[in-house]
Amino acid sequence: MSWTHEYLLYDPDAQKRRELTGLVSDFQRFSIHDGPGIRTIVFLKGCPLHCAWCANPETISPRPEIMLIPHNCIGCRKCIEVCPSGCFGEADGIVNSIDRDMCLLPECGKCQRVCYANAVNISGRYLTVAEVMDVVLLDREFYDRTGGGITFSGGEPFAQPAFLKELAQTAKVLKLHTAVETCGHVSWNVFSSVLDYLDIVLYDLKHMDPDRHLQGTGVGNHLILENVRRVAASGKPIRIRLPLIPGFNDSEENIRATAEFIAGFSSLEALDILPYHRMGEPKWGQLHQDYKLHGVAPHGRERVFELADIARAYGIEVTVGG
Amino acid sequence: MASKAEAVSKKQIDVANLPGPTQRVEAIKERFIKTTPEICVERAQLITASYKVTEDLPIHIRRAKAFEKILSEMTIFIADDELVVGNQCTKPRSAPVYPEFSCKWLEAELDRLEKRTGDVFLISEDKKKILRDLFPYWDKKTSNELATSLMTPDALAAQGAGVFTVGNYYFNGVGHISVDYAKVLAKGLNGVIDEAKAELAKIDLTDPDDLKKMHFLDAVITSNEAVIAFARRFAVEAEKLAASEKSAQRKAELAEIARICRKVPAQPAESFGEAIQSFWFIQLVLQLESNGHSISPMRFDQYMYPYLEMDTSITTEKAQELLDLLYIKFSEINKVRDEGSTKAFGGYPMFQNLIVGGVDREGEDATNDLSFMCLQATANTKLYQPSISIRVHSNTPAELYKKAAEVSRLGLGMPAYYNDRFIIPALLSRGLTREDARDYGIIGCVEPQVAGKTEGWHDAAFFNMAKVLELALNDGVDALTGKQLGPKTGDLASFNSFDDVMKAYKTQMKNFVKLLVISDNAVDIAHGQRTPLPFLSSLVDDCMAKGKSLQEGGAHYNFTGPQGVGVGNVGDSLTAIKKLVFEDKAITLAELKKGLESDFAGVEMESMRQMLQNRAPKYGNDNEYADLIAHEGALIYCREVEKYTNPRGGRFQPGLYPVSANVPLGTVVGATPDGRKSGKALADGVSPVSGVDQAGPTASVKSVARLDHVIASNGTLLNMKFHPNALKDDRGIQNLVGVTETFFNGGGTHIQYNVIGRDTLLDAQKHPDNYQGMVVRVAGYSAFFTSLDKAIQDDIIARTEQMF
Repeated sequence: MSWTHEYLLYDPDAQKRRELTGLVSDFQRFSIHDGPGIRTIVFLKGCPLHCAWCANPETISPRPEIMLIPHNCIGCRKCIEVCPSGCFGEADGIVNSIDRDMCLLPECGKCQRVCYANAVNISGRYLTVAEVMDVVLLDREFYDRTGGGITFSGGEPFAQPAFLKELAQTAKVLKLHTAVETCGHVSWNVFSSVLDYLDIVLYDLKHMDPDRHLQGTGVGNHLILENVRRVAASGKPIRIRLPLIPGFNDSEENIRATAEFIAGFSSLEALDILPYHRMGEPKWGQLHQDYKLHGVAPHGRERVFELADIARAYGIEVTVGG
Repeated sequence: MASKAEAVSKKQIDVANLPGPTQRVEAIKERFIKTTPEICVERAQLITASYKVTEDLPIHIRRAKAFEKILSEMTIFIADDELVVGNQCTKPRSAPVYPEFSCKWLEAELDRLEKRTGDVFLISEDKKKILRDLFPYWDKKTSNELATSLMTPDALAAQGAGVFTVGNYYFNGVGHISVDYAKVLAKGLNGVIDEAKAELAKIDLTDPDDLKKMHFLDAVITSNEAVIAFARRFAVEAEKLAASEKSAQRKAELAEIARICRKVPAQPAESFGEAIQSFWFIQLVLQLESNGHSISPMRFDQYMYPYLEMDTSITTEKAQELLDLLYIKFSEINKVRDEGSTKAFGGYPMFQNLIVGGVDREGEDATNDLSFMCLQATANTKLYQPSISIRVHSNTPAELYKKAAEVSRLGLGMPAYYNDRFIIPALLSRGLTREDARDYGIIGCVEPQVAGKTEGWHDAAFFNMAKVLELALNDGVDALTGKQLGPKTGDLASFNSFDDVMKAYKTQMKNFVKLLVISDNAVDIAHGQRTPLPFLSSLVDDCMAKGKSLQEGGAHYNFTGPQGVGVGNVGDSLTAIKKLVFEDKAITLAELKKGLESDFAGVEMESMRQMLQNRAPKYGNDNEYADLIAHEGALIYCREVEKYTNPRGGRFQPGLYPVSANVPLGTVVGATPDGRKSGKALADGVSPVSGVDQAGPTASVKSVARLDHVIASNGTLLNMKFHPNALKDDRGIQNLVGVTETFFNGGGTHIQYNVIGRDTLLDAQKHPDNYQGMVVRVAGYSAFFTSLDKAIQDDIIARTEQMF
């Protein structure tokens, strides 16, 4: 967790302020693979897709939620004592389960305040645009020296359209370089209303086949493909990102289809092939959800580079890892 | 093609495409890596024999005669394919013994040398016997024993409790110096002898001071002549080998070696090859005269460049090869330390620091072709010596910065980056002239000084700031032994405000810095009386003019630099007290006291420990509240240190770096209010406490820049660790430069990067045989990872990984 000290503790009243607030799950400073230079990523909560491989599963739900790390629990029982709804369960002196239907979030959050060991964590803070910018501006000098800036990610940043728009507008007033990472499943009206304030779009294409896309993400790809054409047609610099998921979208056929589809985009910077990794798996457990890809091995380096070469044959720039 | 006129006026070197290692370099390096360090007894035998027959002579003469005997009788050899010659021991990587500084520890540890967990040395039973037979002669005659007799009981007690250690110079030579190599290259040692003779001609023997001066100058002449004769032994050896050599090519090489060794270092160098060999003889014999480490070449690219530029016959390939071979020579130098010290100086380090770039004496950029070639040599040899560094200023060429970053990416932990913009003012504030300050280089780990005129005594002590805080929170009682060690500054539970806490910390600090100064000065005086070094002194101003050895105050600039260790722990502990006790009132002082005393035993205390750890801001996260308290905690130490004077007439100046002493110094500190449990390692240098810097490298760098690096003029040290992926392409290089520049712009003076993945390190612990050649940056230096003690290995691994 990388919360600055001001936002360390969840505040249920933060959403009730008069200013516009958004639900931020985290910041990542010194991000160097999500847009040019050194950047700060702002993770916004809520996503219309539900991908089994998601590395940030805590960003899928549009509500704050508890992430439980029993490994950190020291057995002090303070969370159990303060919880008004009795939602924690314990075994062997360690808190190891939670009844999420009984949890009072987004109200309450008392348990996190007394869990000094950080076994009970809450994903999500209601922050104003100014509060987000306070964090982002801490690294202004790094952005200026490396051509970096701010990257909106998630979740799906467009799922909080008003907040995203104001963030992006403010960032441009502050002369920050702006990037968005999107799945593209959003109405074009919303997308286009923010596009002017973005310097680059990092756009996920998870599968070219509509049925497979629906199976893997819970939505079809019609809107996604339509939007990506529109972004490309607008001339906005764009990078296509392909999270390479074993057994889902890693066939040569899909790589060829993707490369062929995007090869004509005049403002295309590159196709970034993002090799599957398992670093998000523990977080599924902390949310008490099944990780459906458990045991699936990442690709070998060689296979990833072979696929990259296949895409390169279409005359586009291809990177591995972004 | 370049015109003939251009070729004559300036060498054409394509610095963007420098040659890689030759077969010869690869073969010699391979041979080096396969050599196991051993103990070499020759030097100990020779010096003991000499001392036995010179007991009636003045100390300077005794030192010179011993030096002469060592150089004229030790075994010398020229190994296959070598072009740069000169050995320290009977075998490469072996370590000589220097009984005149101390030998009781070695006597006690002889049987442990092969068995200890780090920095292993082989030694046969025969050789052990030789040493055991000669050690009794040195009883009560060493600089170590004299130093002990000069110290006070309370100073010795503070050392015993681990409040500070003056161990390095207490048991060994001082080293930590850079001589006037340029003078040797330009005038030869014959020129140095002439200088001594000219001074001798001036003296008036009826003046009692001049009598002493005469002995010193006589010793200088004897020592310099001994070095010239030593070089000629290599000429004879080369001629002998040439006579029986079958290969015509090698025969010619040996003949050239013989020619060069007859000429230098006695006479001025007139080609790049001669300059390299002349330099090496000096670098080598300095490390036979004394075992002080950190004999640093410093601005090698500056004083060597004229010889490269003038050498119209040498190709770039040949020049690079000579440089690469010299780098392997640097790595062949070794030193045996006591087992305790290997935990603070793990990995056979010799700290020979070579720095490139920076501004010249007039303030203009000093970068030249050799600056690039020196970095290339590190890439070609991938060894841990010399410690390579780069000076960075506002007009550092982008190409040099990029070259340095490319070397950083190799994962050797080198080069270290130094900031002209803040180091030059720091040196000005210590009394250097503007030109001298601009001409600084780095000694050992991170210590800035100007070459050829400074006795900096940079590694004077490691001072345990966390232990001082522990004592301040425990009424001056050592939490580990229960002894009253410092003044009574009040029971923790009786403090009424954060100011009371700070007052106790300041009082304890004052007391223990005073004891530190007593201890350092005792060691300093002992070196002056028992182990003056006439050869070294002859290459540093103003020793000859003053007629005084360095050890007696002969240098133009004199300093003593003790290091504060545990900045992060002191800062985080004070922050936790201020925030959680006095502001939030979440913990009472009585509870805190109970927690510290019990080492946080039991669930309630563990819960408090978690609060201390996770609910107070921490230094290293770009949080001003915590950063400014760390700043203040360090400043209290620094201000106290700079009050004092050393026996050589110079000032004390503080540094903030631990080498790897943060691990052993942690073992003597009880639980601290930052949530650290008793005995755990302290924070490394000015780096945040391991694992608390969760906001990533940009935040760390901004926090560390908030310390006062200028007052810590003896050097500060920031270790950053990156996953190789973070630096994988040109963008990675740009980001590394961006981080460095932001840190330097904010006020940092030193930063270095470790670029090795955690998995690699864990695997290397499990399968050391597969990682024999893997170099990592430990703290102020680089070492083979597999030769480090496990605790140091663990600490390197634990340092927060900067993910990609």
